[in-house]
Amino acid sequence: MSAEALTAIKLGIVSCEACGLLTKPADVKHPGHCPRCGEELALRKHNSIQRTWALIIAAAICYIPANLLPVMVTTTLMSAEEDTIMGGVVLLYMTGSWPLALIVLIASVVIPLAKLVALAYLLITVRRRSAWRRHDRVRLHRLVEFVGRWSMLDVFVDTFTVALIQLEPLMSVKPGMGVMFFAAVVVLTMIAAETFDPRLIWDSGNDREGQDD
Amino acid sequence: MTDQDNLSSIPQAAAVPKKRRRLSVVWIIPILAAVVALGIAVQRILSEGPTITIVFKAAGGVEAGKTYLKYKDVNIGIVKTVKLSEDATRVVVTAKIDKSAEGLMVEDAKFWVEQPRVTLSGVSGIGTLLSGNFIGLERGSSTKASRDFTGLEVPPAITVDQPGRQFVLQAADLGSVGIGSPLYHRRLNVGQVIGYDLAEDGRSVTIKVFVNAPYEKYVTNYTRFWQAGGIDVTLGANGLSVQTQSVLSMLIGGIAFETPLSAPDSKPAAAGTSFALYSDRTAAAAQQETIVQPYVLYFSESLRGLSVGAPVTLLGFPIGEVTAVGLQYSPSTDAIRPRVEIAVYPSRFMSIAKTEGGLEQPVRSERERHAFVQRLVDRGMRAQLRSGNIVTGQLYVALDRFPDAPRAKIDWTKSPPELPVVTGGLAELEHKINRILVKIDKMPLEAIGEDLKKLLETTDRMLKRIDTEITPELRTTLEGLKRVLESADANLVGKDAAAQQELREALQEITRAAQSIRGLTDYLERNPDALIRGKTQEKP
Repeated sequence: MSAEALTAIKLGIVSCEACGLLTKPADVKHPGHCPRCGEELALRKHNSIQRTWALIIAAAICYIPANLLPVMVTTTLMSAEEDTIMGGVVLLYMTGSWPLALIVLIASVVIPLAKLVALAYLLITVRRRSAWRRHDRVRLHRLVEFVGRWSMLDVFVDTFTVALIQLEPLMSVKPGMGVMFFAAVVVLTMIAAETFDPRLIWDSGNDREGQDD
Repeated sequence: MTDQDNLSSIPQAAAVPKKRRRLSVVWIIPILAAVVALGIAVQRILSEGPTITIVFKAAGGVEAGKTYLKYKDVNIGIVKTVKLSEDATRVVVTAKIDKSAEGLMVEDAKFWVEQPRVTLSGVSGIGTLLSGNFIGLERGSSTKASRDFTGLEVPPAITVDQPGRQFVLQAADLGSVGIGSPLYHRRLNVGQVIGYDLAEDGRSVTIKVFVNAPYEKYVTNYTRFWQAGGIDVTLGANGLSVQTQSVLSMLIGGIAFETPLSAPDSKPAAAGTSFALYSDRTAAAAQQETIVQPYVLYFSESLRGLSVGAPVTLLGFPIGEVTAVGLQYSPSTDAIRPRVEIAVYPSRFMSIAKTEGGLEQPVRSERERHAFVQRLVDRGMRAQLRSGNIVTGQLYVALDRFPDAPRAKIDWTKSPPELPVVTGGLAELEHKINRILVKIDKMPLEAIGEDLKKLLETTDRMLKRIDTEITPELRTTLEGLKRVLESADANLVGKDAAAQQELREALQEITRAAQSIRGLTDYLERNPDALIRGKTQEKP
């Protein structure tokens, strides 16, 4: 698309998110409400950047305990063992199954972190109104949205193990605090990816006054 | 433009004035996350216990991340690393301790590797067969926190919070005592040995014992401890004595204690009080004397059978013991005398003597005591060696009265003073027999024998003469005699002998005479007048 491509903002109209009715916004800053359904109108997702930031920061905070705290506590007759995600990766690697270790490392450690970095990168570039490689950035956003749900796999594995291995008093597995935080990281990044408005990527450059935030 | 037309027909949105919000509510999420994460972090940091290092000689079965530290069977920490020390002679174990157990990490806390142990006194640590070895912890009494410890080889025998009291025993040697050896009071197991060490000068052994509550109150400052381990067989003047405490102590040794009844007070001794450990009960009981009066005795007889420790009796009551047996050589006279040193305990005499008052003084004051002993000697008190046991020949020293003994004076200036002696029982008997033998020896036995021989020869000759000369004559005489007897038999005694015949006739005569007398008397009875008138003619 060329830089002169028309957008609703350029035309001075706004589409209702709920009923799709096109209206002229009452004010550029506060488009007002849809005359048909009463939904609050927004030229872009409401507070998209701020919300995304908040969620990313929350996820980043949760990411630390998710990796430090044990995700699984295995109690056997003799001992109780607490396993963290990285501990599991190291154990898998030490026992020789490095492909599995790699999978766990990528799925549970690298991807959540990459998502956070990617979203932060998107937000920063939007803020700086960068026009650099917009297509790639949109593709990145799409990827983040797509990958997000798969990270819950770890949580599922954990919960299944806990539910299945209950051989009291010989052996039992209990979830650790880490898994809660890990789930929080995944959920928060998913919401953050959802909250981010990819249209903002295209708003930069020639249209500075149409920004929501 | 149609676009423009269409746009003009687009309705205007309703303008609703709105409060401007500077900050989105969504920021609550990261704040919440931060609060929760911080909370957990703070809790973690606060609950973070100390990391300690323990140095062991060997760390059997201790594994990083798997071996726990346990206090009273409760996990209080986990081993983090197991490494060799720099010089590779020891094992350095680092462990993470729970916050709750931080207070236990004091200077004198004790650590040891708990593993199954089988000793004579019992089996311990069986649980570790299932659970794996763990590091045991025993609380210290210090208040100074520490992070570096040295592990013990064996678990401590007692725990700090175990009620009771610890005492120290000094002994010449360890005997059969080991850690865990039982402690007996009146054959009741009341404690145990918790440790021993060689004294710094290497001349004695220090043994630590622990007396469990409530028995610790029976240990007073006057309590005597002795080795009660093994079988104690003593052969003394009192005969054969075998002493044991229990089968267990026979195997693993033991210590017994007792407080003498004569102890001045029964106030329990303070913890850590040091006591002497005697080799046996007799030794322990004998040493309780506070006043010891040594004497030396010079006997003239053999001391064979007299051993150190043999009793010294006064009128049969033990009041002391023999402390040394030896010989005395005096160069001036070139004579060797048997020398016996004895110790007399006046307080023992006190305990057996019922007094009518006034005896306290002679015992307490040295001068009075000397005067008292001198008076006893004046009245004939002498030391004598006596046989206590006829089978074993063990001797003892008896102080007894010999009123006939010559007067003697004790020289108190000598140390030890000499007590007068008399030759004793068996020795005296021996002496007497000896004297008799000497007398017998002095008799002219050979001359007597010669005489006797001559006498016998004469007798022999005489008998021969009797045999040859007298015997034939005797035979003829006997034959003559025989004939005489035969004739006597025929004439006098035989059935048809004349004498017999005559005798029978004579008797018949007498019978007839008696019959006529009876007839006369009958007649006279019936006719008494016949005496006067004469016999009347009977009328038919």
